[in-house]
Amino acid sequence: MDIADVLKHTSPDLYLPDLQATDKESALSEMVDGLIAGTQITNKETVLQMLLSRENLGSTAVGPGVAFPHGRTLAVQKLTILCANSKKGIPFDAEDGKPTHLFFMLIAPPQDSGHQYIKSLAVLTEKMQNAELREAVMKTDDYESFCEALKEG
Amino acid sequence: MNPQLQLLVAIQDLELMIRDAEDAKKAQEFEEMGFGMGGLEELKKAREDLAAKLEPRHRNYYRRLTQRFGHAVVPVIKNLCTGCFANIPASFVSQTHRDRVLTCENCGRILYWP
Repeated sequence: MDIADVLKHTSPDLYLPDLQATDKESALSEMVDGLIAGTQITNKETVLQMLLSRENLGSTAVGPGVAFPHGRTLAVQKLTILCANSKKGIPFDAEDGKPTHLFFMLIAPPQDSGHQYIKSLAVLTEKMQNAELREAVMKTDDYESFCEALKEG
Repeated sequence: MNPQLQLLVAIQDLELMIRDAEDAKKAQEFEEMGFGMGGLEELKKAREDLAAKLEPRHRNYYRRLTQRFGHAVVPVIKNLCTGCFANIPASFVSQTHRDRVLTCENCGRILYWP
């Protein structure tokens, strides 16, 4: 699996160029609102509760300035990825204590056929270890340039 | 959505996460990607807190189904119970019915419309 395969699970409707939230919980809520606006998913409460539980297991802000909120829930029928930027940065319990600017939210159904969810998460976390690529992606503010930056890295 | 069904779905999602965290191979995969897995006991407590909010009949039924099938709640997709693939009666599809905790007439699993 490569980044092009991962990007098949997102769309221009699932890209938020500048989150307005100022804390972790409201950031997750804003992203789930974006997920619902961009898909057929309707059950906000279930998705949000699952994401908050995952954060209680351990923060998903694992790269410098990058977080990967993720999990599996009955509320979705296929792997769906929402991407978001935050110009100001949001406190997200990162190990380095710095704000998070870039978010990849992966929501998968319980079955996760073909382990698409774990594989996609692995591709994205590996990509985001590249500091130059990370900076390039953070600077984008539209879906096309966001995807192009990811593919070029 | 029926609040008891909402709780049942949340509990099952949580149990899935707990199962992943307790699976040594999966936990290692997540840890290698950098994700913390240290809050397992907190998740287990959250599961118990949610289960305590269930009506006893739903809690007992959920436990029996989990012991029998592994998963108690299944999504309905294209009018099929995805646990046993039986057709769901048309009368179940109305919003009024969906707002109740309904079970598959064939296998007994709890039905959820995603």
